[in-house]
Amino acid sequence: MAHTANSDFKTRLQNWIPKLVLSPSVAMMLVFVYGFILFSVYLSFTDSRLLPSYGWVGLENYSKLWRLSHWEISLKNMGIFAALYIAICTSIGLGLAIFLDQKIRGEGLLRPIYLYPMALSFIVTGTAWKWFLDPGIGLENVMHTWGWESFEFRWIKDRNFAIYTVVLAAVWQTSGFVMAMFLAGLRGIDNEILKAAQMDGASNWNLYRRIIIPQLRPAFLSAFVILSHLAIKTFDLVIALTGGGPGRATELPATFMYSYTFTRNQMGIGAASATIMLMTIAAIMIPYLYSELREKR
Amino acid sequence: MGFLDIDNTTKSYGSVEVLHNVDISVEEGEFLVLVGPSGCGKSTLLNMIAGLEEITSGEIRIKDSVMNGVHPSKRNIAMVFQSYALYPNMTVGQNITFGLEMHGTPKADREIAMRDVAKLLQIEPLLDRKPGQLSGGQRQRVAMGRALVRNPDVFLFDEPLSNLDAKLRVDMRTEIKKLHQKLGTTIVYVTHDQIEAMTLSTRIAVMNGGYVQQLGTPQEIYDSPANIFVATFMGSPAMNVLPAKVRVEDGLPHAEIILHDGSATLLPFSQENLAAWEGKEILLGIRPETITDSDGADRKSKNIAQMINRIVVTEPAGSDTFVSMQLSGKDVIARMRSDAEVRPGQDFNFAVNMEKAVAFDPQTEARIQP
Amino acid sequence: MSVASQDTAIRTGRITRTLIYVVLILFALFYMLPLYVMVVNSVKPLSEITGGGMMNLPREFTLDPWFKAWSSAQIGVEPTGLAPYFWNSIKMVVPAVAISTVLGALNGYVLTKWRFKYDTILFGLMLFACFIPFQIVLIPMARMLGLMGLAGTTWGLALVHVVYGIGFTTLYFRNYYAVFPTELIRAAQIDGAGFFQIFWRILLPSSGPIAVVSIIWQFTNIWNDFLFGASFAGADSQPMTVALNNLVQASHGVKEYNVHFAGAILAAMPTLLVYIVAGRYFVRGLMAGSVKG
Repeated sequence: MAHTANSDFKTRLQNWIPKLVLSPSVAMMLVFVYGFILFSVYLSFTDSRLLPSYGWVGLENYSKLWRLSHWEISLKNMGIFAALYIAICTSIGLGLAIFLDQKIRGEGLLRPIYLYPMALSFIVTGTAWKWFLDPGIGLENVMHTWGWESFEFRWIKDRNFAIYTVVLAAVWQTSGFVMAMFLAGLRGIDNEILKAAQMDGASNWNLYRRIIIPQLRPAFLSAFVILSHLAIKTFDLVIALTGGGPGRATELPATFMYSYTFTRNQMGIGAASATIMLMTIAAIMIPYLYSELREKR
Repeated sequence: MGFLDIDNTTKSYGSVEVLHNVDISVEEGEFLVLVGPSGCGKSTLLNMIAGLEEITSGEIRIKDSVMNGVHPSKRNIAMVFQSYALYPNMTVGQNITFGLEMHGTPKADREIAMRDVAKLLQIEPLLDRKPGQLSGGQRQRVAMGRALVRNPDVFLFDEPLSNLDAKLRVDMRTEIKKLHQKLGTTIVYVTHDQIEAMTLSTRIAVMNGGYVQQLGTPQEIYDSPANIFVATFMGSPAMNVLPAKVRVEDGLPHAEIILHDGSATLLPFSQENLAAWEGKEILLGIRPETITDSDGADRKSKNIAQMINRIVVTEPAGSDTFVSMQLSGKDVIARMRSDAEVRPGQDFNFAVNMEKAVAFDPQTEARIQP
Repeated sequence: MSVASQDTAIRTGRITRTLIYVVLILFALFYMLPLYVMVVNSVKPLSEITGGGMMNLPREFTLDPWFKAWSSAQIGVEPTGLAPYFWNSIKMVVPAVAISTVLGALNGYVLTKWRFKYDTILFGLMLFACFIPFQIVLIPMARMLGLMGLAGTTWGLALVHVVYGIGFTTLYFRNYYAVFPTELIRAAQIDGAGFFQIFWRILLPSSGPIAVVSIIWQFTNIWNDFLFGASFAGADSQPMTVALNNLVQASHGVKEYNVHFAGAILAAMPTLLVYIVAGRYFVRGLMAGSVKG
């Protein structure tokens, strides 16, 4: 008496619930992320100024943008900042991780000290460094009262050097985190490989150069991806530390976009600069995410 | 029509068909083992019976009700998983009764059912522990308890013993068999271990590449394998398969095989219809235990052939001694009594029980049926 | 802190070891320096700082800068101190963290245990959303908040943080649930448990560690946010970071560095406390979750 039982109600409902549960998040993501991206990109082709307006101007905003010295400065600063920030954070992070991995007494105390800046707001970091580096009351003044009259350290007030103080504060904030990433990588390496290499007669130097560091490739890649996207997004730190100054000496694309959109009422140009920032990050993130997600399948 | 019918069932992922037209009918109280190498489709088939995977085409029926599209919990089945899948945050008792709770059984009845099952499986002292505090064998029992308490129509076992060490595995095997004999439940059991399949089942489905290669009792599968895959997969050490040429002498078919020194010898077949293959190549299948010394040969057999061949390696294994040699260019294993006096390099007089020999068509690899 | 210490096979000589310790300690001093500067200068009178004593311990100990920063410092046009902004941040952070964590847990559950066509692509889109420069959504977001009547409100800010936090919480829970045995889900299905029963009875009781990670991560990120706060908050819904920046950047009057430092510590306090109390989970989570897709 075989009777055909199509999916009963509960089963069909169970098949739909997962999708229903996911849908608010997906809807939010599609509207607030991808919808908004499309909208911003669209605005970058319009004559929007104080408010969005829909007069199509083609690539005019982009050509204006590339003629602005303000934009040129922020790109140049971005180049200096990103290169130094990534390079220094990676070196310090790797170095500290290797040193900490030598069965250090007090590792449990040192690690949280290296890591806690990650927990702070960039505004707090910026405030602390702003006054510490201020020649009037900070390091320079302290040295003078300690008797080193000729000591001079006024980078934060110097157009040519102010960007390096941003690098300093940013490195202070994130290098400990990079250390943790490398340390996790080091701890993940099979000890037997190291023992085998030592029996093969490898010195410590060669052990690191030939065996260990090459195995940290995934950690290097993750560090690079995370640091580069943090670099491009850097905004609060500059606002708190230098306010973009002196002059425009520490403007970055993020601060450029903000001031053009919200204080100078050049929304079209602001949108164009945001689009360029997005493209830059996409160029780094998409291949990375693609390879990460592909491996999983 | 059986108790559990798998009727012309297929499974595809996208355009790839992984199970091809499976047809199995299981009677009430049967112990069916699905056995095969990994990737043969046995677990997929089990999951389809459980309702954890959809059926692409065909039908699965339990007690004549079509199960296609029915939620796993509504099929009145229970499953024991390879990892036991005990809920880590619940006690043993809660693990056992979770299914009853989900089906709305009153608490008092759940308690009684749990006590009964715990007594049956001798896990009463464990009821308040968490799975993390149990040994592998204890977890296995709890997993079975969780299945038993539901009193389902069909039990499904997905490689339940593969996470246990060798000794425990043998013990639990006996335990499962006892339980089946005592309760008379219908069981479908997946394993890749052919010994488990042989010892536990009332019937075996040997699977490979998404096809059921042969369905039959353990004895049928072992003695009359349908093809070379079944012949070599079931049995350990595996059946020896070697090329041979059929010659008819005195009206009887013989297998011509080549000894280690390149000379040929003839072994008489018991299977007379092989005469039709005269002059053709076949593949000869001989189980290791049918090659012995003359004293160890099966006295009931009417067809013991003799051959002298050189021993290459001997492997004493306690109860038996395995002897390897070259026949028709293949390594061939013989299984001798442990007191057989054999040594490497010796030219030895082997007795071959040709009653048990089988012949395969080298093109199709199917058995040439008697 | 959670990384299991494991024997390293490497041996080093005494001189090398001493050098290593020296370097490690110097870096520890470098990382401690700003905290030291903030703490010591927040408890001394302004004159000690301007007199060149920034690195010295306070000669005269005073908590006045703290009281002033908390309750009476000039922020924008009102002399309210940071207190109201602190509560603004709390009111924004708590719902945003709760909602984004719950959604992330559900998403992670669906994406790992109820897989369907294109689920990886959806997850990839969510993940990419974590990394976009938020400048690209500022303009339309401002419009949208206006349309929804949430412009300048704490709820509006909370919504923004939920939207852009879901990617990370989903990532954490997905990676955590990915290694949660699927057989348990199947067993529960056969036992008759439905979607939410499985989540509530089977998955959630084992999700403690990752929930802590998600909460800490979201709390830190949302508390520390400046860009959204500065862009979307109204005068009476500004979060702590924006208020601190206003305090420090104020161009009028005497610069009260000691008050600034006290304010900075106040702004840093919640996240630092979380880090000290539950830091080991945070680090464990960062290592297990954030770097791997």
